[in-house]
Amino acid sequence: MKRKSPTRPRKSGYLFIAPYVVLLVAIGIYPAGYVVHLALTSLTGHFTWLGNFIDSTHNSEFVPAFENIIKFLGIWLTALVVFVVSLSLMLHSLNERVGAAFRFVLYLPAALAGSASVMLWLFMLQPGKSPWGFVLSWLGYHTLGDSLAPAHLPVIFALIAFWSGAGSWIVVMHGALATIPEEVLESARLDGAGAWRTAVNIKLPLIKKWIAYMVIGAFAAGSQLFAEPQLISEATGGIANQAWSPNQLAIFLAFHYDYFNYAAAISVDLLVVAVICAAVVLLRTGLFDVGH
Amino acid sequence: MYVLLTLFAAFFVVPIIWLVFEAIGVHLGLIAGNLGIWLFNSVLYSAAGAAIAITACIPAGYAIATHEFPGRRALLILTMLVMLIPTSALVLPLFLEANEVHQLTSPLAVIVPYGLFPFGVYLSYLYFHTERFSVLFQTARSDGCNEWQVFRHIAVPLSKPVAALIVFLNIVASWTNFFLPWVMYWSTNTTDRYPLPLGIALQLFSGETSGEYLGVVQLHTSWPPSAIAFLLLATIAPVVVVFILARRWIGSGHFQGVFR
Repeated sequence: MKRKSPTRPRKSGYLFIAPYVVLLVAIGIYPAGYVVHLALTSLTGHFTWLGNFIDSTHNSEFVPAFENIIKFLGIWLTALVVFVVSLSLMLHSLNERVGAAFRFVLYLPAALAGSASVMLWLFMLQPGKSPWGFVLSWLGYHTLGDSLAPAHLPVIFALIAFWSGAGSWIVVMHGALATIPEEVLESARLDGAGAWRTAVNIKLPLIKKWIAYMVIGAFAAGSQLFAEPQLISEATGGIANQAWSPNQLAIFLAFHYDYFNYAAAISVDLLVVAVICAAVVLLRTGLFDVGH
Repeated sequence: MYVLLTLFAAFFVVPIIWLVFEAIGVHLGLIAGNLGIWLFNSVLYSAAGAAIAITACIPAGYAIATHEFPGRRALLILTMLVMLIPTSALVLPLFLEANEVHQLTSPLAVIVPYGLFPFGVYLSYLYFHTERFSVLFQTARSDGCNEWQVFRHIAVPLSKPVAALIVFLNIVASWTNFFLPWVMYWSTNTTDRYPLPLGIALQLFSGETSGEYLGVVQLHTSWPPSAIAFLLLATIAPVVVVFILARRWIGSGHFQGVFR
């Protein structure tokens, strides 16, 4: 009897990937290439090597924008690691239904990502309107301007980002914790490990690479901060800086001064950070199935 | 531990409860017109984006999982790389591209980018990349099905659970996106194209400031707070409905398939 070859089909694969590849090129690769090209050329189209990258750092807003984003990232990443990990471990030790209900409540604010969460938090930070008014008055804030003093901004952006983003990471951590085999937890129990010991000595090491993924992913996403500072700048009538974050600075240079080449250079700076983070997650954490 | 958990739950949920109570006093007549336009645009962009995403993701993930063609592994790695890059990193490049092809104020300027969803391709790839399925597809081939029939009559019906997950994740991402539509439509002052997130931002841009220096600034919006609370609720309601429908995955760890 003639057996059909067990090899997998080849040529027809190209047909199935065609729509996706067209999108990937048009929306991913081409614009990325175009912005790199702009970053390396002058307004008149001459190749300028790293000229735009160097010149863009001379803008008086460049260094402050990167300082701001680093302060924000420091606060946000610390909060993510401490609270997401401890909340996930606590929820995992509860019974399944109670844990699921808590996770749902914590995930709910994810529906308000972007401008909706900023708008809501402006009300939360407005004394006289906020349900947290007692906290604001205890801190001595009487106007929105008090709440939004420049020194508070990294903390406030971290607070908003944590409020709308932590839930998704808790869901991810739950998924990771759920892959720990029951036998492992059972034998820990038989060895007399309590809830605390099990969490710290067994569960934590097993989700370490997911924590690494969260930190790198949140770093990459956080470095792109735009909506929060942009809207707060508008809420204060431009009194808060319009170029608070690097992405804002790039947009500001592009739209207000038509410095597209400088904007492209800053955009490439951020893209390089994002690509490095993505490559580290992909190649170093071993979390993703890269096909064999 | 329960005290701590309850405190955190309060931190996450009190703002949303405040929103519901604040919205009760709304006068709908004031806002219905604009709200209708923004809602229509949001639905249009998200639905059209998800339609493109699902049309591209399912066959691509299927082919990467079950076919053997030169460039397959490179495509998979590129897909994961792009999936791990935050979408906002490509917003300014996309603006420059849309400007170049004169599509800046067209709905396509946000719909087509929403359609690129590499994470969906990865999910679809993981879903189809099982021994069970490859045996099934192989059997269909030896029974005389051609490649299109295998895909259309076996793979597509099987893809329902992963397709639902892809649509859910894609819609949540595009529904809450602010940066991309802001760059395309705000900068060009194309107000009739605003989706809900830009409508919200518009409330802050009342054109006047309520203080000369930061210390006296108060929140100043073009609509009263009750109308804004209603607007925010209208913005999140569809997502919350989808959340509740998707609670099976969110609550019970059905995202597990993604984890090795």
